[in-house]
Amino acid sequence: MQPFSFSQQPLEPERYRAALSDAAAGGYASFEGWVRDHSDGRRVQRLEYEAFESLAIKEGTRIVAQAIERFGIRRAACVHRVGDLAIGELAVWVGVSSAHRAEAFAACRYIIDEVKHRVPIWKKEHYVDGDSGWVNCERCAQPGHEHDAGAHADHRHDATPAFAHDYSRQMALPQVGSAGQARLRNASVLVIGAGGLGVPVLQYLAAAGLGRLGIVDGDRVEASNLHRQPLFGIEDVGQPKAVVAAARLARLNRDVRYDSLAERVSAGNVDALVADYDLVVECSDNFATKFLVNDAVVRARRPAIFASVYQYEGQLQVYRPREDWPCLRCLWPEAPQDGLVGNCAEAGVLGPVPAALGALQAMEALKLLLGMQLEALSSVHVFDLLNLQWRTLHARRNVSCNHDRVAAAQQPDLADLELAFADLDAARASGLTLVDIREPWERMTDAPDESIEMHVPLSSLLEGRSALPPGGRYLIICAHGVRSLALAERLRGIGYREVYSLRGGLAAVTA
Amino acid sequence: MIQVEIQYFAVLREQAGRAQESRETAAVNPAELYEQVRQAYSLALPRAMLKVAINDEFCDWTQALRPGDRVVFIPPVAGG
Repeated sequence: MQPFSFSQQPLEPERYRAALSDAAAGGYASFEGWVRDHSDGRRVQRLEYEAFESLAIKEGTRIVAQAIERFGIRRAACVHRVGDLAIGELAVWVGVSSAHRAEAFAACRYIIDEVKHRVPIWKKEHYVDGDSGWVNCERCAQPGHEHDAGAHADHRHDATPAFAHDYSRQMALPQVGSAGQARLRNASVLVIGAGGLGVPVLQYLAAAGLGRLGIVDGDRVEASNLHRQPLFGIEDVGQPKAVVAAARLARLNRDVRYDSLAERVSAGNVDALVADYDLVVECSDNFATKFLVNDAVVRARRPAIFASVYQYEGQLQVYRPREDWPCLRCLWPEAPQDGLVGNCAEAGVLGPVPAALGALQAMEALKLLLGMQLEALSSVHVFDLLNLQWRTLHARRNVSCNHDRVAAAQQPDLADLELAFADLDAARASGLTLVDIREPWERMTDAPDESIEMHVPLSSLLEGRSALPPGGRYLIICAHGVRSLALAERLRGIGYREVYSLRGGLAAVTA
Repeated sequence: MIQVEIQYFAVLREQAGRAQESRETAAVNPAELYEQVRQAYSLALPRAMLKVAINDEFCDWTQALRPGDRVVFIPPVAGG
């Protein structure tokens, strides 16, 4: 069964349900959307659904794959009806089979919510009084949109999805285009600190249409923050920054998923947080956090963008997970003590100073995500906004820096579990046997995989219906590198020595 | 004696009361140079907390100074 499909014919839940059966599943949850006879107080006679199918299927398929990865469920699918529907008919069906019920319910809810929000499907209501109108288009889903007369005068309901228009100004750049926009939509970024630096970072990354944005800040909005953090308002004083920021950003762009964590980054949560995102933007206001984040990105091999400000000056440093690239500790071998050199509270700051540095961090983040114009040499950029001077100071990897020891000491077993390759040919050249563990229905979608020697679905491996011949050297491959990492770890645990996971999965080598 | 260009950042700029200067010095390396300016301006930060760059490259404190070098002293900054 396709993970996401459209049907001109009445939906058949029983048949779909059978396709999700799985010996390892302990339960099944489904959601059915029905055509009801009223809408906003008007009596509805029938409905008409229309979709921009090629794009909708891609987006729908992505949503189902994300649900499988995120919730660790066994199987999932969604079928949406198109054409004319009568009252009581099924408009949409979502089904999930899973080892445990909590994940099944959560994934089911996730899929229907995301489909409603992200997939370009339009609904036309035909009312009993003979009138009709298109509803539920993407713009209609925005808050504050009134369904009164002339509500749709400001936008057309044609088959072009609204989000293609929203990003047109950046997509017009040859380095972005639709491929670049797709990369942004699939990207996740963790922003640590929603302060003077973090606010512009969050605003520009949300506006650019990322897939997921993590916001971590344990502080509450203070009146003294507002001059440099104008995302917040005076009525927000006393509220958790992470929560307020997510709400404000959702008004800016609902395409993005916001994870807000109103906690301080600590040794206990930093590794899990960093590992869950493609890129980290460090916007905290203290050395302790900056070095905690530095060590975590080195361990997890994630790129990170650091910035700090002092009065009228700012420093910007990009960390890339490469052998020859310096980390924060290469420059500052011992984490400086907070309080010695002043932060914004102690030293004072004008709002546009962190805003300028934050905008530069957002720019560097987009460049990294889009794979464009990367610095060949690592540098610390030092900005003096009072004299409008900018110095680029080249920095080298400090061979005596303990950043490798930091990396090795804390995660000895997983250090080499993931391998990154530019493409599958490079992976093959390493002498490893490539093993695609995606399920058969996933392989029918989009990623080119003809060249992979072995196809062994993860489900059959986990259930013991098949096994990899012992003694081989394997590179495990899945869609995004999450399941392959889990499997590689499991196989190491049962005695396979040379088994690795393709970092980022097929998405990383075919992007 | 040689002539070098010095630039100060962040708290050093505040304490030195200047963003840059041209200085005659007998110092043979940036470590000696920093000790001189530290005494001249009563700078509070010990050298161990700073980075130094010469001609836009971070370098060791013992690198030999040459006439006309642009020397930059940078403390770490944390504000955000």
